[in-house]
Amino acid sequence: MKDRLLLIAWLLSVVSVTFIHDPARLGGLLVLAAALVLGGRETARLAGRALAVVALVNLAVSLSYVLASTLAGEPWGIFVLRLNLRVLLLAFLTLWMTRHLDLPRALAFSPSLKFISVLALGQIQLFKRMLLDYRMAFTSRHPAPPPIRHRLGGAGRQATALLEKAEIQACELNHGMRSRGFFDDRA
Amino acid sequence: MHIPDGLIAPQAYLPAFALVVPIWAFSVRKVARSFDEALVPRLAVLTALAFVLSSIMLPLPGGTSGHLIGVGLLALAFGLWPAFLTYSLVLALQSLLLGAGGITVLAINALCMGLVGAGVTLLVYRMLARWSRPLAIVIGVWSGVVASSVLVALALGMQPLLGSDAGGQPLFFPFGPAVTLPIIVGTHALTGLGEGLLTCLVFGVFEKRVLATT
Repeated sequence: MKDRLLLIAWLLSVVSVTFIHDPARLGGLLVLAAALVLGGRETARLAGRALAVVALVNLAVSLSYVLASTLAGEPWGIFVLRLNLRVLLLAFLTLWMTRHLDLPRALAFSPSLKFISVLALGQIQLFKRMLLDYRMAFTSRHPAPPPIRHRLGGAGRQATALLEKAEIQACELNHGMRSRGFFDDRA
Repeated sequence: MHIPDGLIAPQAYLPAFALVVPIWAFSVRKVARSFDEALVPRLAVLTALAFVLSSIMLPLPGGTSGHLIGVGLLALAFGLWPAFLTYSLVLALQSLLLGAGGITVLAINALCMGLVGAGVTLLVYRMLARWSRPLAIVIGVWSGVVASSVLVALALGMQPLLGSDAGGQPLFFPFGPAVTLPIIVGTHALTGLGEGLLTCLVFGVFEKRVLATT
């Protein structure tokens, strides 16, 4: 129940933020959200991640807008402030939510969604490990930067292996769930 | 390619949700009909696959790289509706677990990349497959990526029309289609070609091995 409420509260707050356009209000809310996020452990890592997530897009949009407005002789300060505060606030709210939310529990209102999320999260870990193995093997075979043809071939082999593994895993999971009576329980 | 939170006005993303929800419901029904009891494990594995596929680096000339989108590969391997549904789930997971993309723009991203990307890929592939399958895959995936990027550029480019403050400064994304179209579509015309070549390579091998084991 706690996780579902958290998910709903986060959804409502994220939507509400997009209706606020006053930089002063956005700034106040950002301080509040930052206090929530920074109050916990792993402070530096989370703050760094929030900045990394938004920095590239925000910098590109802000700098382009500043340049275009300066050339046209128009003001740009309020927009740049508004955009950056809003995007940072949304990133902080999302990071705070991801730190506290147990996704499968939040999705418990739908057994299918809950099972899909549990299985998908497990499979993501499995595929990520497999991809890491392939990347490390590729790097170890190429002490010098390889030509683009080899890099494309390496990426192709990674994607093929993932696709094959996914086919096998889908069959295995299906057999495993059937043998444990999962589908009988739901019938 | 996907749009992050905070750049799109509610006047754009709320109607997009109204549009995408019935399409999600329809696609769940379509996918459930073809996979029956295998639906849950199949969707879960495809979601994980799409999630991880999007982390494969696509090499670009000059030593740089971009990310594989992967929706074209999913569409060719599993069909339009599974591709759309799993890509939507991936976008939701990326937003909920990594803070990447965004939940307010989920519907727009799902429509642009999941539905249109997969749909255009399959349409072009089916039109060209009778002449040359490898070429059909490359052009199909490229067309899907470019079509998605056109829609993303238009979604961003329409934001200045949706509101500005009393001083005339925009409330959301500030540039119109004259800026977004060449930048976003131009970049993706290049990465789309790389993705098309990679998909052709992968799909050929995958098809051979699946046929060999069935």
